[in-house]
Formats: sequence, structure tokens, C-alpha cells
Amino acid sequence: MFGPKVKLDKDLYERVRKFAAIAGYSSIEEFVGHVLEKELAAIGEGDSEEEIKKKLKGLGYIS
Amino acid sequence: MTGKNHILRKGLTRRGFLKGVAGAAAMAAGCGRAPADPTHGMRTRNGQKALVVAFDGLDPVLVRQWMDEGRLPNLAKLKQTGGFTELGTSIPPQSPVAWSNFITGMDSGGHGIFDFIHRDPKTYLPYLSTTKAETPTKFWRVGRYVLPRDGGKMELLRRGKAWWEHLAEANVPATVFCVPSNFPPVAGPFRTLSGMGTPDLLGGYGSFSHFAEQPPPVNPDKEVTGGVVVKVEVAQGVVEAVLTGPKNTYVKVEEGQAAPDAEQPFRVYVDRNSDAAVLEMNGERTVLRVGQWTDWVVVNFTMVPGVVAVNGMVRFLLQSAAPAFALHVSPINIDPRDPAMTISTPPTYSRELAEARGGPYHTQGIPEDTKALSSGMVNNKEFLEQATTVLEERIDLYRYELSRFRDGCLFFYFSSSDQQAHTFWRTMDHEHPAYRAEFDEPYTNTLRDLYERLDGLLGEAMAKLDDKTTLLVMSDHGFAPYYQSFHLSSWLLDNGYVKLKDPSDRKSEFLANVNWFGTKAYTLGINGLYLNLAGRERSGVVGAGDADRLLDEISKRLLEVRDPANGRAVISQVYKSSKVYHGPYVKDAPDLIIGYARGYRGSWETALGKFPDGGLLRPNDDAWSGDHCMAAEEVPGVIFANRPIKLAKPSLVDVPVTILELFGLPRPKEMQGKNILTGI
Repeated sequence: MFGPKVKLDKDLYERVRKFAAIAGYSSIEEFVGHVLEKELAAIGEGDSEEEIKKKLKGLGYIS
Repeated sequence: MTGKNHILRKGLTRRGFLKGVAGAAAMAAGCGRAPADPTHGMRTRNGQKALVVAFDGLDPVLVRQWMDEGRLPNLAKLKQTGGFTELGTSIPPQSPVAWSNFITGMDSGGHGIFDFIHRDPKTYLPYLSTTKAETPTKFWRVGRYVLPRDGGKMELLRRGKAWWEHLAEANVPATVFCVPSNFPPVAGPFRTLSGMGTPDLLGGYGSFSHFAEQPPPVNPDKEVTGGVVVKVEVAQGVVEAVLTGPKNTYVKVEEGQAAPDAEQPFRVYVDRNSDAAVLEMNGERTVLRVGQWTDWVVVNFTMVPGVVAVNGMVRFLLQSAAPAFALHVSPINIDPRDPAMTISTPPTYSRELAEARGGPYHTQGIPEDTKALSSGMVNNKEFLEQATTVLEERIDLYRYELSRFRDGCLFFYFSSSDQQAHTFWRTMDHEHPAYRAEFDEPYTNTLRDLYERLDGLLGEAMAKLDDKTTLLVMSDHGFAPYYQSFHLSSWLLDNGYVKLKDPSDRKSEFLANVNWFGTKAYTLGINGLYLNLAGRERSGVVGAGDADRLLDEISKRLLEVRDPANGRAVISQVYKSSKVYHGPYVKDAPDLIIGYARGYRGSWETALGKFPDGGLLRPNDDAWSGDHCMAAEEVPGVIFANRPIKLAKPSLVDVPVTILELFGLPRPKEMQGKNILTGI
């Protein structure tokens, strides 16, 4: 990975590393990227995940 | 012309609401004038006219049966004097896909719509396939409010040029009423009202509100979806309640916090002795009587006091005044007289239609409130009354458009044949798992009665046809019973194609519990199956070199799945998208499209990305008892014409070619079809 780098506190990095492994992420980058994408979605970059779910459930084809 | 369309006034969410100030002036300027005629000066050169009447989901098996019984005399006459055959549907036979084929003359590879639900490969999250909301980017901050400096947009995601755009370029006037997959409506010199895909005021497919003194007990196995249930108290004969509106994104909130809901308070004075009540809202009073839907009532959500408000409209149904109060409220529809978003072309057309029929009408894209029926919030009678109102409104507008149809092309769409087949299939099919004789027997002939009524409407049009008018009557797909749900997601899990992070959690939605590092294939939506492809999916693990072999393996194994109750195949077709689609958007398609056998469908849980256990098949006991999201070969639509049909095995992509050639237009090179009437 040669993209931008972000500094993390050592303890936080260790926790992230452990959780990413337990949760089955292929890399720390993948886990961090996933979390950040979810957060960005929640603060208004496009519909939030909750809004999307709510909208989908109004569709008769989905119960 | 473009599929993008600025919101003219007040929007729906952050993307909707934070956008309208400049547009408001444009809308205001458009109001109060005589409706503009976008087709003024246009004239068909060859003197031909085309009337296309569309009955969504009209099924060839039912049509043949009821024609044979003499119940559909006008369709029978068309068959005898012109032509009738099955019309090949889309893959998969879902309405947004099918109507996009009809609109563009291309399959999904050309228009980019593959399912009601698509997924973003970078997040694995679902989104509505036909429309995307874009946020404004610049704001003014005033006190506790945030006002947009530039307009956000709703974008139509269906690609390709609509056939009526081709007509307009050739100076042929066109009116297109409620065709699905056209929200926001494509702009241009024609009249269109957007259909399926048009949201309610909350931005979704429709969300009811239900206020009850004694709400039904929560059923952990059947969550209420598609609406909210609110417990209320009757204090000294009065109910104080609040109708929840869209998010008020004009209010400044801390980063990461959700915007508050806009609210419309109301009060109900309940007279328990007379089965009646009086609703008070915005200083207006409406009498409610038990068992009767009200007419449309305007609701008003204040966003910025004195500056921005958003109107919608609802219908109330007082279900009970005693012993326990219960009030059902329809989804909040966009008011066509003062639309919060652009729902027509020209923008004044929606208001013109309201004036023509002497009142507003349902504007929500799928207007029948099927979710209220499925969740038990309304019964058969209450739902049928609501669905019949939708039809009555459409009939008024159909007659209005027929009365002024003198040139060019008129396309008119009815949703009733689709939505009532979904919900009343069980009442005519007494073997259906959802059939309950004590409730459903009186509705045995509901669908048949509807077909007879639609046939009568067709007769009204046929009586007015001159010899220059070609009549086409069509549906986008047919119908079949929906007896059993197949948990495709669980099949993928059981067969090692999916790995979960926590194997004990099979209820998390939207694939949230999937361990992508160990997952080769997944499903989201109603008919789509995707590989977890390296380079396309964020955490893809399947290399391009392995993709074809894996797709073949999954296809073969899916076709071998049997229903243990009767030994029948659950899946009759598995389509490889690279084989059945053509055009620039094949790359965005699911890798496989699952074609279920008649009677089977992908489960609700599969569509939502859950992994239910306890068997791969489950009887469908939902009121949503008929369906068409199956193999395309199982559910063809119909095509009738008042002229002989010469093309063997016509399909949806052939209809726009036929329309254009009726007016002497050349066949656009991107269109994949042939002319149904010439066979060439």
C-alpha cells in the first residue's frame, strides 16, 4: 500500500490489529477502511445505512 | 436531454431538503399560470397515432382463461380482429428492469437496471437501483439552521434514451403517464408523470403510520416493516399525536448526529358512542367515521419557520373508536398540486392533472399500501378500498387524457393489475399457504373482477379509435403463485461459498456478519448473485481466472436443488449475465441471475442479506402471495394489438421499435428489438 498514511496511537493500533484478525478482515487496512466508510455514510455522504434500510423495507417485495 | 433533474422546491432528506431555495423561485414562477403545452406546434407528419395501454403484470394464463369464459370481451375482440400473443419479459422479470427494457429498447446491459436493489461493491451495501440522491455542497449557516447555496439533485440511474425522447426530436407529441423507472422524469418537450420509483415524502417506497390505543403485540418472527406503529392514549376523549415527516436537515446538528424528524402535530376528538371522531390539524377539522377512508388531507412540515415548509398529503382511516382507538394513516404522498420534488414534465403537468380530476391523486410510485396489509395493520376490505381509490383516480386521468388525444402517442399505465395480483392471489388459490378461508373467501373473485374492469376501460378507448390509430395493450410480465421462499443466502452458506464472522449470528442484515476474506459468492436483492471478485469487490477473493469455473459450478448445483416436499426443482434457470446482457453496463450486473421455478421465489431474508436457519425452504404465509421474480420463461407478459402481430416471440425491447416505426422514425442503432407489427 503506497497511499496516504495515518498515525495511530500504539495501543489503538494493537487493538485494531487484534480485532481485524478476529473478525476475519484480510488486513488492518481493510478493517480501518470499512469502519471509515461506514462512518462517512452515517454523517451524510449519501444516504446513511439506516436510511437506506428503512427505504428498502417500504418495498412490498421485501418484508 | 439528461436524466438528472434539479429539485424545484422542497426536498426529502439532506440530499432532498438542503437544496431548494433558488429552485423555489422557479417553482413559484411556474404556479398560477395556465399549464404550458410542451408539445405546442408539434405535429405527426404521417398522420398516425399510437395508443399504448399498459396493465402491469397482466398475466397471459389468467387472460386466456377469462377470455374463454367470455369475461373480457374487449381483449377477446382485439385478439380476434388484430393480434394477441405472449410478450417476452426481462431477465429478471422485475418491474424496474422490465419497464427499462421497454423504455430504452435495450436489455439491462444497455440501461443498467438489474434488480430493485443494487449493491456497491466497495461497501457491499444495498441501494435503490433507479434513483440516487446527491447532496448540495455549499451552505449558509443562519442561527440554528443550515441553508443550501447550491441545489442538490435526484438522479435517474436508468441509462439510455427513452423512446419518447426520439419522438420529440421528430416533432411527434407524446404523453407518458406513470411509466416506471422514470423518476426523476426525463426532461424534454413532452408530458410525463413519473411512476414506480417516485418516493413518498420520507424518500422511500412508502411508509404508513398507525396510531393505536392497543397496538398489536410485537411478533419477533414478523417484524412490522414499511411503517411505524405508535401507541397513543385517549385522555378525556382526546388523542394528541404527531405525524413524523422527513428529516429536517435544515437544522444544524453536531457532526455524526442525525437530523431531527420534521413533525406535524394533530389532535383527534374521539366520540366512542357514535363510532366517529374529529381530526384537527393546522386549524382544519376533518370528520372521521369508523371504516371510512378520508379524502386527501394536506400535511405541512415546517423546516425553517416562516421560510421553508414542505407539504405532503395523507388519507386517514379511523379503524376503531371503541373499545380501543385505532387510526391508520397512509404514507405521505407528494402533493401533485404543489410537489416537493419534480414528478412531472413539464413541472406543471402534475398540477394540471389534479385540476382536471378536481382533486389530488396518489403520486407515490407504488401507490397501493401493500405493506400495511402484509403487516396486518389493515385488513382485506380496508386495503381493497385503498387500492380501488388508486384505480378510480387513474381512471379519471385516463379519461381526461383519452378525451384530448388527437395526435402523436399516448402511453397510459395502470398498476392495479400488478399490486392486486401480489396481494389477492391467495384469495383465488385456496391451496396457497397464506389462504385463510374465514377472511379470504369473500375475495375469491377480486382479481377476476379487476381484470373485467380493466377490460371495460379498454373498451372505452376502443370506442374512440379512428383508423389512423394503432392500439397496443401490454404488460411487462405475468404472474405466478408465490408458495415457497428459498433462502439462497443460507444455501450459499451451507455450501461453503459464504463464511460468517460469528457463525451463531444469522440474523444480522445486509451481510453485516459476513467474513469477506472467506467468502466466494453472495446475494443481495431479489434475483442477483455476485462473486466476491478480486479487483471489483472491496475485499474480493475470487481471481478473474477462477470466475467462470465457479459460476458454472454454482449454476449446476443450484439447478439440482429440489423441494423435499414434492421433488420439484426450485430453480429452473440460472442466467450468466455475460451471456444474456449486452452493452456498456454488463460490468455492473450480478454475475448470475437466479430464475426460480413457478411457485418459488428468493426469500425476504435473502433479499435483505440475512442467513436464516431451519431449512432452505419456508412456506410463504404473507398476504404478498403472488409474484413474478422468477425465471423469465415462467412469467411472460401479454401484447394485444388492433392490427395483426407478425413477429414471432416478441419481447419488451420490440415495443419501442414498433412505436417509433409507426411514426416513420428510423430504428435507433442501440435498440435491440424488431417491429412487432411488421415482423422485421
